[in-house]
Amino acid sequence: MAVALLQMHDIIKSFPGVLALNKAALSVQPGEIHGLVGENGAGKSTIIKVLAGVYKADGGTVTIDGEALQDVTPRSVHEAGIRFIHQELHLVQHFTVTESVFMGQELSGIGGLSRRDMKAKAESFFKDALGTELSGDLLIRDLGIAERKLVQIARALIDGAAKLVVFDEPTAPLSSGETEKLFAAITNLKARGIAMIYVSHYLAEITDICDRVTVLRNGKTVSVFEEVLPDSTDAMITAMVGREIEALFPDVSHCASADLLQVQNLHHQAFSNVSFDVQAGEIVGIAGLIGSGREEVVDVLYGLKKASEGAVKFNGKSQAFNAPKDAVAAGMVLVPRDRRHDGLVLDMSVSDNVNLASLDDISTGLIERRKMGLAKAGAVAEQLDIRPRDPSAKARNLSGGNQQKVVLGRWLTRGAKLFILDEPTVGVDVGAKVEIYALVEKLAADGAGVLVSSSDPGELVGLCDRILVMLRGEIITEISTDGLGVDHLVALTTGGQAA
Amino acid sequence: MTQSLTIRRILDALPITVFVLLFLYLSLNSANFLSFPTLELILKQAVPTVLVSLGLATVIVAGGDDVVSGGIDLSIPATAIICAAIVADQVTNHQSPLIWGLVLAFGAAGIIGAVNAGLVVWVRMTPLLATLATSVAIVGVTKVITESRRIGVTDPTIVFIRDGSIAGIAAGVVLTTIVALAYWHLVHRTKWGMNLQATGGSRDAAEISGIPTNRFVVQSFLLAAFAGWIACSFVLARGSGSSPGSEENLLLEMVLATFLGAAFSPRRVVTVWGAVLGAVLVSALSVGFISIGVNVFWTGCIKGVLILLVVASAAAGREQ
Repeated sequence: MAVALLQMHDIIKSFPGVLALNKAALSVQPGEIHGLVGENGAGKSTIIKVLAGVYKADGGTVTIDGEALQDVTPRSVHEAGIRFIHQELHLVQHFTVTESVFMGQELSGIGGLSRRDMKAKAESFFKDALGTELSGDLLIRDLGIAERKLVQIARALIDGAAKLVVFDEPTAPLSSGETEKLFAAITNLKARGIAMIYVSHYLAEITDICDRVTVLRNGKTVSVFEEVLPDSTDAMITAMVGREIEALFPDVSHCASADLLQVQNLHHQAFSNVSFDVQAGEIVGIAGLIGSGREEVVDVLYGLKKASEGAVKFNGKSQAFNAPKDAVAAGMVLVPRDRRHDGLVLDMSVSDNVNLASLDDISTGLIERRKMGLAKAGAVAEQLDIRPRDPSAKARNLSGGNQQKVVLGRWLTRGAKLFILDEPTVGVDVGAKVEIYALVEKLAADGAGVLVSSSDPGELVGLCDRILVMLRGEIITEISTDGLGVDHLVALTTGGQAA
Repeated sequence: MTQSLTIRRILDALPITVFVLLFLYLSLNSANFLSFPTLELILKQAVPTVLVSLGLATVIVAGGDDVVSGGIDLSIPATAIICAAIVADQVTNHQSPLIWGLVLAFGAAGIIGAVNAGLVVWVRMTPLLATLATSVAIVGVTKVITESRRIGVTDPTIVFIRDGSIAGIAAGVVLTTIVALAYWHLVHRTKWGMNLQATGGSRDAAEISGIPTNRFVVQSFLLAAFAGWIACSFVLARGSGSSPGSEENLLLEMVLATFLGAAFSPRRVVTVWGAVLGAVLVSALSVGFISIGVNVFWTGCIKGVLILLVVASAAAGREQ
C-alpha cells in the first residue's frame, strides 16, 4: 500500500471527567473516500476537531504525507491541504454565490475587486470539479440546501490546494434527491484524486460511497473495514454498538388503557404523513437521527411549531395547539431537549423553577406565598431525590441529572396526562439516569402516557413499550421492544436495513 | 411558503410606498418642490446627514443590521458636534488656525472611535448601549467646551464650504460626493470591504473563512468616528458655527436615512449608496414639510414614525 496521506496514531484527548479519545487511530490513503462511523459520543467529532487543530491532543501523532506535523493548528492543517466541510453551512444569506465562494480569499487588482475573474473561476469550478452548473450571480438565500452545500465545498476547494476534504455529516439536512447531487460532486472530486473523510450516521451512504471505513467506539478505533460491501452494515453496527445494555431499566410491564393521543397524517416542512398514537399508561419512543424530523414532531405536538396539515386528538378532543400554554392547559407537558436554555431559568432557585408552571397554586391574589412554594419544592426534591435538598439553591449549580429532575418535578406538581420527554438523559450521569428511568416507569404505571424522543437507541429499547422509527422525515416503521436488539434499531435509524 | 414570500414582499415595499406617497403629497401641495433651487437646497441640507450616515452604514455593514444585537453607532452625530465645538472654540475663542482645530478634533474623534470599539469588541457590550453611553458622555463634554453657547465661525474655508461652488455646483455637495464615493469604493469595491460585509453578514462564516472579524469591527467604529470628524466642517458651515444640541436631529435623520437606504438595496441590506440616497430623501422631506408650512415639531414626529416603520419592516422581514 502507498504511503498514507494522513495517519493519526494513538490519539489521546480527555476533558474533565471524560476520556474522549483513548489511543484512537485513523489512516487515509491518497484518493480514497474513508468513512468514519460510531455512535454518539464514540469520539468522531473529537478526532476530527483534533485533526482540525480546534482541540489539542494530549498524546499521539498526526502525520501528513509521511511527515509528522509538529504543531497541529488550524493554519498548519490548512497549509498541509486539509479542508473541512462543516455540518453547519456558515454562509451569508445576502451574498452571491461568487462572493461566498471567495469569502476571505477574494481576488483583487489595482482598481479593487476582480469580480469578473472571481465569477468566471467560481462557475468553471462548479462545472469542472463538481459537475454542476451554478450561476455566480445567484443569492445564497435563493438556493436550495444542496446548492448551498456545493457552495460551501467550492469555498473550501477553490484555491486548488486541497488534498484531503473532511465531510462532517454532509447529508443531514438534505432530502434523498439532494443527496444524489452531493454524491455526484463527491464522485467528481474523487476522480480528481482528492481524498475524503466522510463522517456520517447514515450507514447506507457509507456503504454506497466509501472505499474503507474506520469504526470508533468509546474513544477507541475498534475496527477498520478494508473493503466495504453493501452487506457490511451489519458488521459495522456490531462494531459500533458492541455492548450489552446494562441493567439500567426497571423491568415493569405496562397496562395500556384508553387512547390518549392520536396523531393523523401530520405534515410539516421537516416531516410528512406522520401518524401514531399513545395510550394512557404506556411509554412510546421516537427514534431517528438528527434531521430525521424527530425533533420537529415533538415541537409541533407541543405547539412550538405549526403543522401544515393533519389532525391531533388529545384526551378525546381534537386539538391544534398554537402555543405551549394551550398544550399545558390540556395536560400535555414537555421536558425539552435543551435543558439549560429551554428547561430552566438557571439563575433562579430550585423552588422557583419547580413552581414556574403552577404559580397560581402558591399565590393568593397577586401575592406569591414563598413559604408555600419552598415547601412544595421541598416535597418534590424529597420525592425525586434532588441534591442538594435545599430548594433555595440556584438551578445553575446543580448537576445535569438533578437539573433534569427539577424540570420533571415542575410537571409532577401539575398532574399532567401526557409527558413528552425530549432527550431526557443527555448530559446526565449513569446514577441519575437510573433514577430518571425509574421515575418515567412510575409515571406510566400511575396511568400517564409518556412519549420519549431520544438519540440513544439503548435508552429507547430499554425504556419503551414500542418505538416509532423516523428516517428522513417519515415514520418508516413502528416496532415493539419485546426481544428488540439495539443493533436492529440502529440499523433501522441509519437506513442500514430496510424497515 | 408562498404566503410568507408575499408578506415579505409587502413588508419590503412598505417604507418605499410610504415615501412615494409623501413625495406625491408634497409635490402636489408645494408649487416649488420640484424646482432646481429647491433640489439644490435639498442636497445642501443633506450634506451633514449624508456624511454621518456613511459612518453608520459602515458600522452596520460590519456588525449586521439587527438593530439590537447587530452593528450600530449612535455616537456619530455627537462626534460631529463635539468636533465642530472643538474647531469653533479653537478658531474663534483662541484665534488658532483652522488646521490646528481640525487636528485636535481628529484626535478626539479617534479616541471616541477607539472607546466605542473597545466597549463592543473587548468589553462585549452591545453596540446600541455602548454608543448610546458614549454619545451621552460626548454631549456632556461638548457642553463643557462651549458652555452650552453658540460659537460663530467666520473662517474663509468654512465660509467656502457653505457658500462656494466648484464647477457651478455647491462646494459642500461636491466635497461630500467625493467622500461618499471613497466610502462606497472602500466598502463595496475592495477586498477589505468584502471582508467587512462577510463579518456583518455572518460572524461565524467570516471566522471560518479566516477573516479576523474583531479587527474589522474595530476598524468600522474608527471609520464611523472619522465620518463624524469629516462632518464637523460641514456642520460648522451649515450653522455658521457650533450649535450644541443639534446632534438630536442629526441622529434622527442618520438612523432614518441609513435604514431607509436598505429598502432601496436589491438585497435589502444596508449599503453606503443606499444610506446616501436615504439621506437625500430625508432632507427632501424636511425641506418639503417646511415649504408647505408644517410645524417643525410635527416634522420630527413624522420622522420618528418613519424610523419605526423602516426598522419594524426590516425586523419583520428578517423574521419572515
